[in-house]
Amino acid sequence: MSANTKSILLVEDNPDDEALAIRAFQRHHIGNEIVVAHDGVEALDYLFGTGTYAGRDMSIKPTVVLLDLKLPRLDGIEVLRRIRSDERTKLLPVVVLTTSSEEQDMLDSYSLGCNSYIRKPVDFLQFSEAIRQLGMYWLLMNEPPPV
Amino acid sequence: MNPKLLSKLRSFCRDDAAFEQLQQSLLENIQPLESEIEQANFQIEQQKALFHVIARLREPLDLETVFQATATEVRQLLSADRVGMFRFYPNSGYDDGEFVSEDVDPAFSSAMARKIHDHCFGEQFSAHYQQGQMQIVADIYNAGLSDCHIEVLSQFEIKANLAVPLLQGQKLWGLLCIHQCQTPRQWQPTEIEFVSQIANHLGVALQHAELMADLQAEIIERKQAEQAVLTLNQGLQKAIVELKAVNRELESFSYSVSHDLRAPLRSIDGFSQALLEDCLEQLDVTGQDYLHRIRNATQRMGNLIDDLLNLSQVTRSEMHLEPVNLSSIASNISTELHRSEPERQVEFSIQPGLVDQGDARLLQILLTNLLNNAWKFSSKNPQAQIEFGLLPVETEIPTYFVRDNGTGFDMAFANKLFGPFQRLHSAKEFPGNGIGLATVQRIAHRHGGKVWAEGALEQGATFYFTLKPEGAGT
Repeated sequence: MSANTKSILLVEDNPDDEALAIRAFQRHHIGNEIVVAHDGVEALDYLFGTGTYAGRDMSIKPTVVLLDLKLPRLDGIEVLRRIRSDERTKLLPVVVLTTSSEEQDMLDSYSLGCNSYIRKPVDFLQFSEAIRQLGMYWLLMNEPPPV
Repeated sequence: MNPKLLSKLRSFCRDDAAFEQLQQSLLENIQPLESEIEQANFQIEQQKALFHVIARLREPLDLETVFQATATEVRQLLSADRVGMFRFYPNSGYDDGEFVSEDVDPAFSSAMARKIHDHCFGEQFSAHYQQGQMQIVADIYNAGLSDCHIEVLSQFEIKANLAVPLLQGQKLWGLLCIHQCQTPRQWQPTEIEFVSQIANHLGVALQHAELMADLQAEIIERKQAEQAVLTLNQGLQKAIVELKAVNRELESFSYSVSHDLRAPLRSIDGFSQALLEDCLEQLDVTGQDYLHRIRNATQRMGNLIDDLLNLSQVTRSEMHLEPVNLSSIASNISTELHRSEPERQVEFSIQPGLVDQGDARLLQILLTNLLNNAWKFSSKNPQAQIEFGLLPVETEIPTYFVRDNGTGFDMAFANKLFGPFQRLHSAKEFPGNGIGLATVQRIAHRHGGKVWAEGALEQGATFYFTLKPEGAGT
């Protein structure tokens, strides 16, 4: 399996953050496909092939989900809960990528079984470095759970 | 003697002379008997009256009812013209008072509702009455009474007077007065004894009334206290509810600050960097400098937001009280500080074994801030010394201190030290955000304690803190 068949699901409602995240991946030549969901419902639709994603090729599964917490319609915590409670996605690596450093958010995320919790730094260079390490780790180093 | 009996007796006698003799001797024997019977009857009536008085004392009657019924009964039994209960006004020196209850023959005037002043009474009689002695006067004009006293008695047409003290415990409350107004009257020992007993029982009633009044006052007081506690509790409950609401608001506010304020900053910084990377050739040096300034400013603002958030977390986080070893926390911090700047020569002196009740995480933050400050502000002293310890003076609650021999501060600004974002030095001279001491103060306050500082320019600074409310003891 080559690296570029591994895709990333980026759940992010802020278009600036979306653009900056994609820019950061490009800066570090991480060419994997990045699917962007702009709210919690869209994220679940993509993962379970429902709604606007009804009938999509379900053999393509993201290698890692980058999940923002504050989202329209369905928030990130609820998305995480659904991911973990569904047989098809319960082992899917989920990295919470958020602005919040609230203790309650961290507790909720880890309690629901997120694999990592990363706070977006204000400094773009730090953010970009975080994205690089994320890509390196989850796309190259980490062995994904067997399907 | 009835005529039937007389004619029968006559038939037993041989002549009139003998009958006369028999009659004479019978009369001599019967008269004392009749007087004895009369006395016995009186005593029975007395006992009955006493019994009534005592029985009434056992009933839950008010004093007025007891007095009134007793006055009526005593007057009937003694065939007196007036029986009254006289009460001295408290603190009048037994000079003033009034009749509060009476039973009077309609032929004579009522003594009630007339304020009576007898200035010669107070000094003359009160001492005797206090000891339980009574005034027994058969004829007020022939008893050697003072003129002023006679004047008072004659106001009420009194000819003969029997006055018995009513004692409430040790205190002379008033007098039970029996008046004869028609004629003078020789008071009989049995009558005097009877009146004295009645007065004793009324004294008991007075004492009961006093106890009852005390009890009722206490009950009212207790009810008021209970009501006050209840009101206070309701107020507290309301305050708690309000506080919880405020806290929730604060939480959602700081969540917004954390999330929403930082997001635009990331955009500003990120796209400034993108400009620097993508459009470098189109920008001259000044343009590039401006973008760097924009990036620096966004990062400073990001730090400020983080500091504010940390400060609010110190205020909001839940407290877990346990014994905390302050000395070992301080030593760990000093080790960290040495490691961060190994080139500096700083002598730490930390008093061992200082343990106090508190929240370990918050106290770690408190000591970190104070020791970091001491480290920072002593950086210009080549022989820097930092001390942490307990004030040796005997104080009610332990007072800890962190002292340094650094740059110090002007005491005129001492009150500004603990406000958020207040700084007494430029960021160039000593870097910092002005949030450290505000954090220290909040942590001390959350423990019920306080923090204050002493210092002088170029002569070092000492920060004191306590972890208990004043008056809490140790």
